[in-house]
Amino acid sequence: MNAPIKLQLLLETQRLERNPFPIPTGWFFAGYSDSIQPGEVKNINFLDQEWVMFRGEGGQVGITDPYCPHLGAHLGHGGTVVGDNIRCTFHHWEYSTEGFCKHIPYAKVMPPITKKQPILRTLPVQERYGLIWAWYHPQAADPQWELPAIPEMEEPGHVKPRRWSGSVNTAIQEVAENGVDNVHLKYLHGTPIVPPTTATFEDHKMQINIGMGYIIGDMYGPGLNVMRFTKDGVTATMISYSVPITRDKTQMNMSFTHKDYPQGSKERTIAEHLVAHSIGEAEGEESAGFESVDMIVWNNKKYRAKPLLCDGDGQIIKYRQWFKQFYPGFENSDKI
Amino acid sequence: MAVEVLATDREGTTHKLEAERGRPLMEVLREANLGVEGTCGGACACGTCHVYVAGSWAERLPLRSEDEQMMLEAIAELVEVRPASRLSCQIPMSEELSGIEVEIGPVP
Repeated sequence: MNAPIKLQLLLETQRLERNPFPIPTGWFFAGYSDSIQPGEVKNINFLDQEWVMFRGEGGQVGITDPYCPHLGAHLGHGGTVVGDNIRCTFHHWEYSTEGFCKHIPYAKVMPPITKKQPILRTLPVQERYGLIWAWYHPQAADPQWELPAIPEMEEPGHVKPRRWSGSVNTAIQEVAENGVDNVHLKYLHGTPIVPPTTATFEDHKMQINIGMGYIIGDMYGPGLNVMRFTKDGVTATMISYSVPITRDKTQMNMSFTHKDYPQGSKERTIAEHLVAHSIGEAEGEESAGFESVDMIVWNNKKYRAKPLLCDGDGQIIKYRQWFKQFYPGFENSDKI
Repeated sequence: MAVEVLATDREGTTHKLEAERGRPLMEVLREANLGVEGTCGGACACGTCHVYVAGSWAERLPLRSEDEQMMLEAIAELVEVRPASRLSCQIPMSEELSGIEVEIGPVP
């Protein structure tokens, strides 16, 4: 008689969720700097809720919870910028970019709590690389790391970044997991061999090295990945700044740049080819870019917290353990 | 046993009120229409339930919380705040406080 089978293995997917992940903590792309002018107010959807973004007359960007702490009016419907504050249309209470109530036009005495702490939830904001960044933490904790310097994006002498955006129905953790999954590069994308890949992890950072230095990827938390493609001494840089829109939907965004090599030079041709390759539109390529092949997997898969892996599967488990730090409060969850 | 409150209004008239146990003094005064608005509902945010607590009653009350202290300091710029000043929303009525004497205080 045969031994009893492990029935659990066969029935597990019935109870698996497609995306069991909460919104992770980290710095996330909230919009392009040139998309909002001083004095402008707009409503944005990301991080699984609606937010109100405004730019004060002094240039500072604020991202706030939509609902006024006073009587709940929506700051993004009728709210206006007054100086560096956003003013609710209902009773003209004003809030700074940090969420402090700065002015109540008719109160003789400001409620003491307004001096002690912010009363409106806001996200810490930074502008780097021409992008607006918001720090998200589920319990509104302060930023735990700094955004890195990216000379190619911040210093002169580089071509104007080319942008790409698309949306995928899965979580960021799933998208970024493909970075350590070198085996899929051969079988899904069709690279001639499984490229040798190493990954190192330190605090909020992960570095992957694919193809012995051909691609070096530096990830800074869930929301920023800087990938440098190098060939014949020429480097093209792609920064990837994916952001959760909801728990089930991620907006993938990328900017590509390289040194402004002279038109017609060998270096420029190589750099442009590297960019085309990373988007997957290079001519004469055997392998497919992510858009054509990864999407079908991401859009339909379920996350297996306890996958069945074999000897060639590399660093997937280490990557997942590293990623867990971005889910504060879910350290002991067996779903992620 | 009913809990009794002796409240003197801003005109100087003293009223004998009955309070339900556990209710904040502010609500008792507000319902008696003695000029206490209690606008913020007990959040130490408006200062409109300011009272002066008479004599030794003040010592029998729970100490001011940080929020109450800050609100009293905030209204002190506009009205007279004394050592016996309290926000009546922060005084839950109990049998031990039966007979408490308070004067409705000035508000901003």
